[in-house]
Amino acid sequence: MAGMSRRTFLSRATASIVGGIGALMGIPTVAYLISPAKARGGLGVEAIPLGPTNKVPIGEPTLFKATIERKTGWVTQAEELAFYVFTEDGRNFTALSNVCTHLGCRVRWVGNEKQFFCPCHNAVFTETGKVVSGPPPRALDQYELSVEGDQLFVVGKVEA
Amino acid sequence: MIQKLSAWFEERMGWKPIWTALALRNIPKVNWLYTLGSATLLVTVNQILTGILLTIYYVPSPQDAYNSVAFITNEITAGWLIRGLHHWGASAMVVLAGLHMLRVVFHGAYKFPREITWFTGLGLLAVTMAFGFTGYLLPWDQKAYWATTVGTRMLEVTPVIGDWLLRIARGGEELSAVTLTRFYGTHVWVLPSVLLLLLGIHLFLVVRVGISAPPTPKETDEKPKVWFE
Repeated sequence: MAGMSRRTFLSRATASIVGGIGALMGIPTVAYLISPAKARGGLGVEAIPLGPTNKVPIGEPTLFKATIERKTGWVTQAEELAFYVFTEDGRNFTALSNVCTHLGCRVRWVGNEKQFFCPCHNAVFTETGKVVSGPPPRALDQYELSVEGDQLFVVGKVEA
Repeated sequence: MIQKLSAWFEERMGWKPIWTALALRNIPKVNWLYTLGSATLLVTVNQILTGILLTIYYVPSPQDAYNSVAFITNEITAGWLIRGLHHWGASAMVVLAGLHMLRVVFHGAYKFPREITWFTGLGLLAVTMAFGFTGYLLPWDQKAYWATTVGTRMLEVTPVIGDWLLRIARGGEELSAVTLTRFYGTHVWVLPSVLLLLLGIHLFLVVRVGISAPPTPKETDEKPKVWFE
């Protein structure tokens, strides 16, 4: 510090204070801006009731629709979800998302070809959701099901 | 390194004279009261930056206004801080601008050749008040609603055109969604434009004309006459 002129000291002090305020404000600003991006979508609810198990024929994925209340930001909206429920033995059930893993179009089950088909880019999936052909990067998303009595509930997402 | 970089820019931009004129200009020997203008400017910059950040989430509609403000305050990271800075900064801006004005009044700094600086300053004070009035409504809570009801109702007592002034301020007879959006538009577009224009002139003159020295009795030969001597 010895030998530093008054002018140099003052300009450095000013620069440090300005830099300090900048950092002090910059960090909360970035946190503020990215804050909503941190929320990962779970189901948003505990369990989504789908319907009775006897509506699912063996070997044939069946579409169930359910409406849930989802809060995004400060707005709570009804959101319609759809799941393809599949069983091979009438006791163990799996649920697949009907959202194509390519770009998010809705896939549909084509019964006579025993395949899921996506109309956007001709993607084809098997009855268990595996990719047969087309651009999708991975199999259809799976959901965890729980059976209470004869009722089906979606209780969570199966992480790949 | 910094010197090299600054030389590189200097060769291409020639900004040294501008920097010298702005930051290295000569000023009279002054005291701490002369920092009130800079303090007001700092709070103004704070208001502009935090205000821009608030518009990232705020929605000016009766359904969304209160909820989006609550969302900012309670759910967004540091939202309470950004909103708090804007809220308290608004009060600080009025107080600091007022003190700055008092300093100018007591030093007689509004006189020739600084009349334009003075009147743009008065304009800036009016704009600051208008900012406060329009911003107060935006959270759309009970306090905001009734404060604006009372505030706009005062316009009605103006002779002859009072009724029209009230309707123009509210965008109709009642406080409504129309009032909220026009206050919002005024707060984030109209007033900032006027503020930047007046502030530009004000600051240009502070640099161009310079600031006045504190008045001292020494400037005249006579001692000031007072009635009790």
